[in-house]
Amino acid sequence: MTATTRRRLLTRLATSLVVIWGAITVSFCALHLTPGDVEDAIVGTSIVTPQVRAQIVAEYGLDRPLVAQYGSYLGRVLRGDLGHSYQRHEPVVTAIASQLGPSLLLAVTGMGLALILATATALLTAGRSRWVRGLASGAELVGTSVPMFWVGILLLTVFSFQLGWFPAVGGDGLTGLLLPAVSMALPVAALLSQVMREGLERVLHEPFVLTARARGMGDTAVRLRHALRHALLPVVTLAGWLFGLMLGAMVVIEKVFSREGLGGLMLDAVAGKDLPVVMGVVLISAFVYVVVNVALDLLYPLIDPRLQEER
Amino acid sequence: MTHAIDTPRRRIAGAALSRPRLGRWCAALVLALIVLTAIAPGLFTSGVPHEADPLAALRAPSGAHPFGTDAIGRDVFTRVVYGARHSLVAAVGATVLAVTAGTLLGLVAGLAGRIADEIIMRLADITLSLPTLLLALLVLTITGPGTLNSIYAIALYTAPGYARLVRVQSMVIRRSGYVEAATALGLTRARIVVRHIVPNAFIPLLVLATIEVGTALVASSSLSFLGLGARPPAPEWGAMLAGGRDYFSVAWWIAVFPGAAITLTVLSITVVGGALQRRLEGLDPSGGGRNR
Amino acid sequence: MHVLRRRGTRGSGVAVMLAASLGLTACGGGTAQDRGATPVLGGTLRFAVHAEPSNLDPHASPSDVTGLLTRPVLDSLVAMDGAGRIRPWLAESWKVSADHRTYTFTLRDGVRFSDGTPFDAAAVKANLDHVVDPRTKSALAAGLIPSYRETEVVDARTARVELSRPHSPLLSALSTPYLGMQSPAALKKGPEFLARQIVGSGPFVMESFVPRQGAVYHRNPNYAWPPQGAAHTGAARLERLQIRTIPEDSVRVGALTSGQVDAIGGVPPVNVEQLRAGSGLKVDSRQAPGGTYNYYPNTASGPFTDVRVRQAFGSGIDFATIVEKLYFGVYEPSSSPVAPGTAGYAPDIGDLRRYDPQAAAALLDQAGWTGRDPQGYRTKDGRRLTIRWMFVKSIAREQRDVLAEQVQAAARKLGFEVRFLDVTLSTYAGVAARGDYDLADFSWQRVDADALRDLFHSANVPAADGAGSNAARYSDPQVDAWLDRTLRTEDPAERAELYADVQRKVIQDAAVFPVYSPAYVLAVGERARDIGWEQQAYPSFYGAWVRER
Repeated sequence: MTATTRRRLLTRLATSLVVIWGAITVSFCALHLTPGDVEDAIVGTSIVTPQVRAQIVAEYGLDRPLVAQYGSYLGRVLRGDLGHSYQRHEPVVTAIASQLGPSLLLAVTGMGLALILATATALLTAGRSRWVRGLASGAELVGTSVPMFWVGILLLTVFSFQLGWFPAVGGDGLTGLLLPAVSMALPVAALLSQVMREGLERVLHEPFVLTARARGMGDTAVRLRHALRHALLPVVTLAGWLFGLMLGAMVVIEKVFSREGLGGLMLDAVAGKDLPVVMGVVLISAFVYVVVNVALDLLYPLIDPRLQEER
Repeated sequence: MTHAIDTPRRRIAGAALSRPRLGRWCAALVLALIVLTAIAPGLFTSGVPHEADPLAALRAPSGAHPFGTDAIGRDVFTRVVYGARHSLVAAVGATVLAVTAGTLLGLVAGLAGRIADEIIMRLADITLSLPTLLLALLVLTITGPGTLNSIYAIALYTAPGYARLVRVQSMVIRRSGYVEAATALGLTRARIVVRHIVPNAFIPLLVLATIEVGTALVASSSLSFLGLGARPPAPEWGAMLAGGRDYFSVAWWIAVFPGAAITLTVLSITVVGGALQRRLEGLDPSGGGRNR
Repeated sequence: MHVLRRRGTRGSGVAVMLAASLGLTACGGGTAQDRGATPVLGGTLRFAVHAEPSNLDPHASPSDVTGLLTRPVLDSLVAMDGAGRIRPWLAESWKVSADHRTYTFTLRDGVRFSDGTPFDAAAVKANLDHVVDPRTKSALAAGLIPSYRETEVVDARTARVELSRPHSPLLSALSTPYLGMQSPAALKKGPEFLARQIVGSGPFVMESFVPRQGAVYHRNPNYAWPPQGAAHTGAARLERLQIRTIPEDSVRVGALTSGQVDAIGGVPPVNVEQLRAGSGLKVDSRQAPGGTYNYYPNTASGPFTDVRVRQAFGSGIDFATIVEKLYFGVYEPSSSPVAPGTAGYAPDIGDLRRYDPQAAAALLDQAGWTGRDPQGYRTKDGRRLTIRWMFVKSIAREQRDVLAEQVQAAARKLGFEVRFLDVTLSTYAGVAARGDYDLADFSWQRVDADALRDLFHSANVPAADGAGSNAARYSDPQVDAWLDRTLRTEDPAERAELYADVQRKVIQDAAVFPVYSPAYVLAVGERARDIGWEQQAYPSFYGAWVRER
C-alpha cells in the first residue's frame, strides 16, 4: 500500500467517523427539538394514567438533562447498543437483527438478477446496429422512469392474483422471492446495462480488442474474454449508489409485497415515531455504506490496471 | 469534478446517441402538455377533483369516465389531470429548493475560505453518505408526514450535489484569474459572484436540475405512496396509487393511470433534459459529460 | 387518547350476526360451516390477520388485536356467552358483596398452565396486580378495572377482589383476554419476555411469535376446562395453528385465493363480493359490539358549543349513505354510540337523527351563521364556519381517511369548512389534553355499554395529564347521574334502561355523530372448518379443524 493510498484511507475513515457522529447528533437534536414530548410519542393515542406516564419518563430517563441523555446515548452507540425501541418492546439491535435476513436475501437476489439482466443486455446490444441499440436504450429509459412500487403492483396483480403463477405472500422459498426481486431488479438493470454497454463500446474500439480480432478471435469470444471485464469496471464505481437504491427499494418493495424485513421495520417505526429504531437503521446503513466505500477505495486500484500504473 | 455532478439519471439522459429526433420532439410535446396541465388543468377537464359521487363508485373506464372512477366515485381522469400540479409542484419545488440552497452553500464553500469550505463539504458528505430514501424517512419521522415536509426531505439530500457543482465551478473561475482581474478593476465580491460565477455555473446547473426533477418526482411519489408525503384527498399521483392499491383486484384503473402518468412524466423529463444537455453544454452525447 | 387500534374492528360482548346480504348463516357462539360434519383431529390451520401488536402481553398492549393472538392461549375467570350472560370458566362461581365492592371467586380445581404451574388464587392475584402495576405500562387492560384495589388470597381456591368503589362492569371486563390469566411464572420473567411469549392455560400453547411474521401454536393435550356452554370439551382439534401477519389487504386476499392460507381475517369490504363469488370460499362476519366508530364534536369550545350547529352537522350530512356506499353494506351505519346488540343498546335510537339538509340549514341560520364568503362557506360576524378536525391520517384504517374526505365534501355543501389538523402520533396527546380541536374521531372498545361512561361522563373530559376519553368534552349533570347509577346496580334491566337514557340524551344533544359499526369479516377456504366466534367478534380456533383434500 502506497503512502498516498494510506493517507487517502485515513482521511476517508476520519471523515466517516465525523459523518456517523454527525448523523447521531443531528437525529438526537431533532428528536428533542420537535414539538411533542418523547413520552407522548411513546404513549401515542392510548390513554394512560399519570402513573404510567411517570413510569415511562423514569424508564427512558427522559427527566434527565438533555446533555446527560445525549452523553449516555453516544456512549451506548459506541458500545454497539442502539437503545430500546419505543414501540416494539425489544432492543433496537434485536429488532434489526431479526429482520436483516429476509431483506438481505431480497437484496442479494434482486442485485444478482439485475447484474445478470444488465450484462446479458449489454453484451447482446453493444456495438450492434442503430436499431438494436435504440431499442435497448428506449427500454432502459422506460426502466429507469417507472416507479418501482408501480412495477411491483402490476407484477403482483398479473402474475399472482390473475394468473396464479406465483404465491401472493413471499417467504415460501424461491417462487415467493421472484416477483419482488424482479420488481427491484428492473430499474437497476436498466441503468447498469446502459453503463455497461457504454463501457463495452469503448473497449471494443481499443487496440487490444482489434488485435484479438485480427488474430482471428470470434466476436462472442472477444466480448466475453476481453471486453466484459473492462465493461464491469464502471459498475464498481456505482456500488455506493446501488447500495442506497437497494435500501430504498427494500422499503417500497417489502410494503407492496407484504414481506417482512428491514423496510417494513423502518416504515412501522416512522409511522409510530419510533425514533430509536429509525436512527438505528440509518446509523447501521451509514456504517455499511462507509465500509463499502472504503473497501472500494482499496479494491479499485487492484481491479483497474490503469490506476496501478499511475501510482 | 465529474463525480460531483454525475447522477445516474443524467447518465441515462445523456446516453442515447441513437435516440431519434422524432422521439425527442415527442417527449418535448408530452412534457409541454403535462406542464400545461399543471398550470391550467381546467383546459383538459371540466370535472372537479374532489367531487365524489358515491353512486358512481368503481366504474370501469368509459366515455363518461375515460379513466374510470375510484372508490367514492371520483373521476380518475380529472384527478390525474389535477394531480399533475400536485406532483410537479412537489418535484419542482424540491429541486428549486435544493438548487437554491446548494448554490448558496456552494458559493460560500468555494469563495469564503478553507474553514467554511471544510464545514460545508463535510456536512454534504454526511448527507450524501446516508441512503437517500432512509434519510428522507428519518426527516419525516421527526417532522411528521406531509407534502411540504417531504419536499424538505428530498431537497435535503439533493442539495449537496448542487453545492458540489457550484463549488467546483466557483473554484475554477476563481483560479482562472478572472476574479483577480475583476478585483483589480475594483469590482466588489458580490458583483463578481453575480456577474461571473453564477452565469458560468448556471447552465450546467440548469441542465442537471431539469434532469433531476425526474428523480425528485419518483422520490416524492414514492413518499406519498408510503403515506408520508402528499395525503388524500390531494390528487397527487403517488397518493392516488397508494389509495388505488387496495382496490386493485376489482378496479385496476385507479392505480394504473396515476402510475402511467408518473412514468410518462419522468420519461419525457429525462429525454428533454438529455437533449438540453447536448444543446446547451455541447457535450458528446454518449460521454455523459466527462469529455469536457 | 383513544383507540386508533391496529385491528379491523373492535368491541366485545354479544356476538351478533351482521348483514344477511353476506348470504351466510351464523349462530351465537357456534359456527356457520359444516354443521353436522364430523370434526377430524390433527392437522394445521393457517390463518392470516392484517395487523399484529408490537407487544403481545394483553395486560400491557394498547392494541386490541392482542386479544386475537392470545385468546388461543389464555383462559379467563369468566366467559360471556352469545346472549351477553356471564358464565363460569376458570372461576366456578362468584359472590358480590352488598356494597358492590367485593367479588369473591371460587376457582376451578385441577387447572394447570402449560408450563406446569397450577392455577390458584395466588395466580389470580399475580395477574390482576400485574395489570395495574405502573411498570406494566398498561394502555388498555388497566382501564378496564379502574377501581381495582387488591386481591386477597383467602385459600388456594378462593380469591377475593376488592374495589375502591362499585364497578359493575367488572365481570364482563374479566371475560376479555385483556384480563386473561397468564402463568405467574411467566409474569415474573418481565415485560420483554411477555412482549414475545405468552404462557397460559388455554387450548393452545404458543410456540413462537416473530414480529412481522406471526405466531405458531400447538395443541395443549391436557386441556379440559373450556367455558361452561362450549360446543365441545377436551383438547382442541387442531394439532397446530399458524397465524400469519399480512398487512397488505390485496396480498392477504391473494394468499387465500391461491390457497397459501386457509382463512383470513380483516377482509376489506371491497373484496367481500369477489370472495363470495369465488369457488369454495365463504365469507362470514360479526358486528363488533361495544363502541362504534363515531365523530365527537368539542362541546366546550369553538362553533360546536352551540347545540344547533352540532345538530346541523349531524343531520345535514348523509352519514348512512356515505357509509353504505364506501363499505358496500359490510359495515352498517350506526345511530348510537354503542353497537346494536350490546347489552344496553337503545333500539329506538335510530329515529332521533334523520338526514334533513333543509332543517340543518335552518338550524345554522338560527344559530347566526347566515353570511356566505366567496368560497361558499357560511360566516358569522365575518368569521368562517370552520371545523378543525383532529385526524391522525398516518394510522387511519378501514378507509376512514376516505370516509373523512367524503364527510368533508358533504359538510362543504352545508357551508362548513372542515380542516384537518396536522396531528401526528406524538402531538395527539397534547392537542387532546388542551382541547384544541372541534372534531375528533375514534372507536372506543369496552366490554359493554359502560363505554358510555368513558365517553360522556364529565369526569372523563381529557385533563392536562392527557388521561380522559370524553373527547366531546361533554358535561351534563343528568347524564353523569345516570352513569353513576349504572355502577351500583347489578340488575341488567335497570342498567340497560339507564344506558338507553344516556344514549338518547347524547344523541339529542348531538354530543356524538355515530358513523358506523365495525364488523370483523372472515373469509374461509375449503380446508378450514368450524372456525367459531369469540364474544369480541374475533375468530375462535378452539373447535376449528381442517379437512385434508
